Amino acid sequence: MTQIPHSALISALLFFGISTPSAQANEDLFGSGKILATPGVVQVEGAGGAGLSTWAMISGYGTNRQVGASAHHTYVTLDDFTLNATGVTVGLFDRVELSFTKQWFDTGDAGARLGLGQGFNFNQDIVGAKVRLFGDAVYAQDSWMPQVSVGMQYKHASEGAIVRAVGADDDDDFDYYLAASKILLDKSLVLSGTARLTRANQFGLLGFGGPNGGNHSVQFEGSAVYLLSRAFALGFDYRTKPDNLAFAEEDDAMAAYVAWLPGKHVTLTAAAVDLGDIALQGRQQGLYLSLQVGF
Amino acid sequence: MTFLKTLMLTSLKILTLMTTATLMATATLTTPAFADSLYEDLGGLEKIERFTARLVDLTFTDPRTAHQFKQTKKDRLTKLLVDQFCELSGGPCAYKGVNMKKSHIKLGITEREFNALVEQLQQAMDEEDIPFHTQNRLLALLAPMKKDIVER
Repeated sequence: MTQIPHSALISALLFFGISTPSAQANEDLFGSGKILATPGVVQVEGAGGAGLSTWAMISGYGTNRQVGASAHHTYVTLDDFTLNATGVTVGLFDRVELSFTKQWFDTGDAGARLGLGQGFNFNQDIVGAKVRLFGDAVYAQDSWMPQVSVGMQYKHASEGAIVRAVGADDDDDFDYYLAASKILLDKSLVLSGTARLTRANQFGLLGFGGPNGGNHSVQFEGSAVYLLSRAFALGFDYRTKPDNLAFAEEDDAMAAYVAWLPGKHVTLTAAAVDLGDIALQGRQQGLYLSLQVGF
Repeated sequence: MTFLKTLMLTSLKILTLMTTATLMATATLTTPAFADSLYEDLGGLEKIERFTARLVDLTFTDPRTAHQFKQTKKDRLTKLLVDQFCELSGGPCAYKGVNMKKSHIKLGITEREFNALVEQLQQAMDEEDIPFHTQNRLLALLAPMKKDIVER
């Protein structure tokens, strides 16, 4: 397996505030050495990906000797609900990705209809980690081998008593995923597929497990993105979800989006989303906007 | 809210159609007959010579890459790169330089330096008005060289 270069270790020491007498090499630790668009963007749970899907790319513009990081705010307005998500995502030496995102799910008028109270909020914290195992999504253009990463997300829903009252087994749990991503450069396409082991109800906002399913099940996320130009990409995501709760059906989710990348430091994603039926309020469609700033 | 919902539904449908249409168009465009004409699509030898000269100028002046080319003869490098781009894209040239691995083995070239050169090539091709998707077809042929050029 590839070893972490010695200079990367020195950089890591410098990064954590420990000074060494050796001179820093020509590499700029925060120099955004990856090529525009190649790391993807930050998805709704804070991982590197796009829209609703998690990709195998390590987020941020840091190369194998650099560190990248970004902050995002994502706003989704649906027919009956509003979701806000804010978080930070760090990529270390194009090998490890760490993320923290907080989500606020506002039930608006539906909260009153459900007996929770007007504007009742379901929130959750998501801590994510991803490791690149093998493959090079960008450069291995002479083979079909994708870049492959594994990751996990610890999710903790805020309203333990309520999510249990609607039938969830738990208010916190781990998701595990295996992601394979490939850029088909001669076709200006990005393809990605992810298998996720999860018990999350509505991404975890409504807790984990329930009467219709108490164990982790395998769910899929797929993305197809066409690079229109250097600054614009057009994409489509599809994501399946478990249907563990008995009080309401849960559907698959999808998104069609345009990402605008005016440079490596700012990205704006606008999407039309369809999250299916949520909490007996009918099919939830709407607009997704995500702003990401970083390096 | 009904209007907003209709608007979003419509935009979702349009986006989905656009994505599907683009994907289908891409699939039909990448027949072998087209793939062979990358040399023509780049604008032939004249265009390749122009963007390569510009690339080498950028490479020799950009602080991210300049230090790696202090011992390099500019004219010779330009000629070698022109031959390489021309041959790779299906043009009537033959690259006569040393292979990529041998010529880069002791240079300790980093990913960041390699990517900087890719960005310079993109800029040089932009300045010659070579379309983005044509650029990507050339970059796809050059990309696998990274494993021979960049340090391990």
